[in-house]
Amino acid sequence: MAQRMVLNVKLAVDSLNRNKLRSALTMLGVIIGVAAVLTMVALGTGARGSVEQEVTSAGTNLIYVKSGNYTRGGEGVGILSGRGAADTLSVADSEEIAKLLGVRDISPGNSLRTFIGFGEGQSFVRIQGVSDAFARMYAWDFLAGANFSSAASDEVIVGRSIAGDIFGSYVDALGKRVQLRGSSFEIVGVIDDSTDDHNEVLFIPWESLQSTINKQNLDSIIVSTNRAGEAASVAEEIRLMLRQRHGIINEANAEARAGYLANQGGAGGIPDDFTVETQAEEVLTRGLYTPAAAFALANLPKLDQVNLEEMTDTLDKANETMTALLASIAGASLFVGGIGIMNIMLVSITERTKEIGLRMATGAKKTDVSRQFLVEAVTLSSVGGVVGLLVGLMLAQVVTLILGWPATVTFVSVVVALGVAAAVGVIFGYYPAQKAAMLDPIDALRAE
Amino acid sequence: MSRFGEVVGTNEVAVNANVIKLDNVRKTYEMGETSVHALKGVSLSVEEGEFVTVTGASGSGKSTLMHILGCLDTPSEGHYSLGSEDVSRLSREDLAEIRNKKIGFVFQGFNLLPRTSAAENVEVPLLYSRPLEPASVRKQKALSALNLMRLDDRASHHPNQLSGGQQQRVAIARALVNDPELILADEPTGNLDTDTGREVMETLVELRAKRNITIILITHEPEIAAYGTRIVSMKDGLITSDTSNQ
Ligand SMILES: Nc1ncnc2c1ncn2[C@@H]1O[C@H](COP(=O)(O)OP(=O)(O)O)[C@@H](O)[C@H]1O
Ligand SMILES: [Mg+2]
Repeated sequence: MAQRMVLNVKLAVDSLNRNKLRSALTMLGVIIGVAAVLTMVALGTGARGSVEQEVTSAGTNLIYVKSGNYTRGGEGVGILSGRGAADTLSVADSEEIAKLLGVRDISPGNSLRTFIGFGEGQSFVRIQGVSDAFARMYAWDFLAGANFSSAASDEVIVGRSIAGDIFGSYVDALGKRVQLRGSSFEIVGVIDDSTDDHNEVLFIPWESLQSTINKQNLDSIIVSTNRAGEAASVAEEIRLMLRQRHGIINEANAEARAGYLANQGGAGGIPDDFTVETQAEEVLTRGLYTPAAAFALANLPKLDQVNLEEMTDTLDKANETMTALLASIAGASLFVGGIGIMNIMLVSITERTKEIGLRMATGAKKTDVSRQFLVEAVTLSSVGGVVGLLVGLMLAQVVTLILGWPATVTFVSVVVALGVAAAVGVIFGYYPAQKAAMLDPIDALRAE
Repeated sequence: MSRFGEVVGTNEVAVNANVIKLDNVRKTYEMGETSVHALKGVSLSVEEGEFVTVTGASGSGKSTLMHILGCLDTPSEGHYSLGSEDVSRLSREDLAEIRNKKIGFVFQGFNLLPRTSAAENVEVPLLYSRPLEPASVRKQKALSALNLMRLDDRASHHPNQLSGGQQQRVAIARALVNDPELILADEPTGNLDTDTGREVMETLVELRAKRNITIILITHEPEIAAYGTRIVSMKDGLITSDTSNQ
């Protein structure tokens, strides 16, 4: 059986070799089909990967814990009775949050807008205290320099706008010193990150900032979770834990604990003195300065979860569209390639009718003849598949080089491409092979 | 057992077993309204080692007879026994197996595969033997059949690099390679000039002498028919004479 297969492959290769140009031209359809499919799958996979990366770096897995609360407190009252600018978020709170399951990184800190001194001049900037994990949480690109070494160091990082405005260039900013309330800091890094206007912020290690501005409590704690989908549930846990730690817990707010009345605080009338928001909520409420609007949005139940689901939905739909598009391109090009193979096999069988008659006269059975031509068609399409694979790999590299789109070739896509090429040979070689096998030996021998 | 080594050097022809027995064979082709009676009741027995030449005018039914003898077709009526087996009602697939094992064909147009070496052409019948022999054995058999036709130095030549006579000898080697009981030749000299045709006929005579092989050869040329040990004449689908020619 296996020996006969080897024999058929040899016959096929010999026969295709006798008509090299014709074989090559016939393969062209399959080559183009497989190459196109592989390139597009590679680029598609790469693009999906970078979208996912962007979604992560945009921080859908981030939770903002802020000191103070501007939301409704009383049950069904509809008046603003949050605690306003409370100052109760402690370093100990952040240490406890860091211990929660699902939390990856944490960055406690304070923020303010003030004048900083540099050399001769002064500038009014936004300052934010952050931990060294902050760079990772936002997947910062360092245009120059690097992250600071510890949360208590006198090293700082500036956004690209500040570096450009004050020092002219990113590299020039490195090593320069800035003064804040009598302390001096050295610029060790310049970053480029448009999220949350980071390009216009001066980042100071949070412990250093606390001692400089003489503050014990925190303005905010930014938390990242291991997975994007966990943000909502981790946020809820943080909320419950902080209520307990801040003495806001009571029997009546069981419903709130279940998450239905997020941020409402104690149902018995004790409002929260903090705010916990996920990225989705934060993005939606940003820029809404009227207390009423902020109030309305902040009190929508499960706003964050709805958003994550919607986001996942949108991504899934995009993937489906992409897959459908790829499938139709693959289908069309491989169909055309397959028709080409079928056509040339029919031509070949007409040309070789006398050969078929001779083979039958010397004892070839129907299955011998049909298998010979089927293997020939599959060999044609498979060689086309392999060549198409190589062309596709090259094309993907070229597109990556020229356009900078990432391309990912997976083992599965290679196997699928080759399998499909072989299947094209079987499907489109079947009819010609049957036609050859059905020839009458006497008529075939007489053919000219 | 191979006949290759067995009978070499024996000039005596042991005439005993019937290789072929045709019993009142008819072949009718239905052509819509009319039917063509190509064979109208042919009976013929051929013994092992005979060299039968069949002559007759064009349309007398020679090729139809050969197709039936060669198991390429079956009789409409009557019986055909090849060796000890009645093959007149076998299926297409069974007939293919019989052709492979028992019959070697030689055609007027040689029917060699183009752009394929002489050795590979000779090997073709071996590709359809069951079980399939290893490639090295097939190659060896093809070479010794070519050797028998004194073409061993042409084994790697393609048909277009060989003369007509050489091509027909490659075809005879192909007919021999699977060690058949019967060689059927339909006008094997039809495409050759007189001298080359004679050469090919002498090759067949020599082969029969060496190997005690049974040959049935169809020709319309009387001088070619004269090479046979027995001459059968046909007319209008019937045998009109059957004479010994020693
Ligand atoms: N496949 C066929 N269909 C119809 N008629 C046929 C067929 N084959 C042969 N014949 C007819 O049978 C008769 C004998 O033909 P054939 O055996 O080829 O004669 P020969 O070989 O002696 O010239 C002719 O009349 C021919 O036309
Ligand atoms: Mg004829």
